[in-house]
Amino acid sequence: MECNRATERSLYFDGELDGADERAFERHLEGCAGCRAELAALESLRGGVRAAMPREQAPAALRARIEARLRRRPAPAWQALAAAGVLAFVAGSAATAWWTAREAPEQRLARELFAGHWRALAAASPVDVVSSDRHTVKPWFAGKVAQSPLVQDFAAQGFPLVGGRIDYAGDARMPVLVYRHGQHVIDVFVLGDDEAGAIGGTRRSRGYVLVPTRLGSQPAALVSDMDDAELARFEQLLEAAR
Amino acid sequence: MPVLPRSNAATHASAAAGELVLRHLDAAYTLARWLLGNGQDAADAVHDAFLRATTSAGIRDGGNPRAWWLAIVRNCCFARLAARGRDGCNVALDQVAHEHGREAAEAWLPMADADALEERIDTLQRSALLARHLRSLPPEFREVLVLRELEELSYREIADVLQRPIGTVMSRLARARAMLQQAVNAAQEVEHGM
Repeated sequence: MECNRATERSLYFDGELDGADERAFERHLEGCAGCRAELAALESLRGGVRAAMPREQAPAALRARIEARLRRRPAPAWQALAAAGVLAFVAGSAATAWWTAREAPEQRLARELFAGHWRALAAASPVDVVSSDRHTVKPWFAGKVAQSPLVQDFAAQGFPLVGGRIDYAGDARMPVLVYRHGQHVIDVFVLGDDEAGAIGGTRRSRGYVLVPTRLGSQPAALVSDMDDAELARFEQLLEAAR
Repeated sequence: MPVLPRSNAATHASAAAGELVLRHLDAAYTLARWLLGNGQDAADAVHDAFLRATTSAGIRDGGNPRAWWLAIVRNCCFARLAARGRDGCNVALDQVAHEHGREAAEAWLPMADADALEERIDTLQRSALLARHLRSLPPEFREVLVLRELEELSYREIADVLQRPIGTVMSRLARARAMLQQAVNAAQEVEHGM
């Protein structure tokens, strides 16, 4: 017969009971064959799961890629840099060169913009500053990026401003304005001159589209899963922004 | 666009996040691999997560750092799963290295151990069967098993990774175990001709 202490049994099995409760449950176990059998089954299942789900080792290429990227960041002190020495520099630049050589710059930028959009969609919120009003978004960017972007709300036209965030493409920090249209989230990445030159044409990936455009006079790229007609309408609004 | 120098605090937070990522890279990759089903996607998802972790390190507020990092990995994996679903393309699941058959077991063992061999094959077959069932579990059940049985996180830590209440963790874990147990029992019944 199923014992009515199944929840406690799971807590006991996972080590989640505190001392007194644990001892109380152990006293219960002495008299409950059902619980003892269930615990044995859980233990056997755990052994099976651990054997079937081996801990994987991260591929060396992934580790090298991350290490190379971390090394490119500013060193904490010149002594540390000296200590790490020529070896780290050579290894780091070799690994970086290897990774960057595999892709053309415009491909890499497009991939990073798509990745930024997907990461934001996966996060608890796609924005770091929430707003329905440009007067809270624009000042938020001040001091975070060299040049605050034009911020305009297109709620009246069906594209309300959700907020903004900072994203990275390579080493560049770029402001991102986030709009919504129905169920679609639209990211507007405001590009610097370097990225603007490297953006290339419209790209598609996994149902998302990346369109080079302008936000007023600033070069920008928008990423969304909206259909083309809506995108064209939104692009016109962006280009007319003042 | 000229880039402003990062503040010292941000640089330190980001360096600490980098160290954390490297320390728990295998755990991250294992989780991603079990959620996404193949190594290439897993590596890409972990790299996305690394970028996110180092850029948002300043925002982290207390809690277990490993749970914080695995939460980012997990979110990046689910974003990929969602994108896959939208495109309607199923990425083939590659075989997990541990799914061995009789030949592999024989290759491992000296012939003198013939008696032990039968038992060994039995264990390997059970393991392969369990691996198959694990892969067929919905990802939200698979992930609680990885986090609990492999990473040995507490309910509280798993709740942090999932950003869900502890009650949800408990019910998913119980359900995942029950589903697996059922699959194992069914297989045993077939084996014993019942």
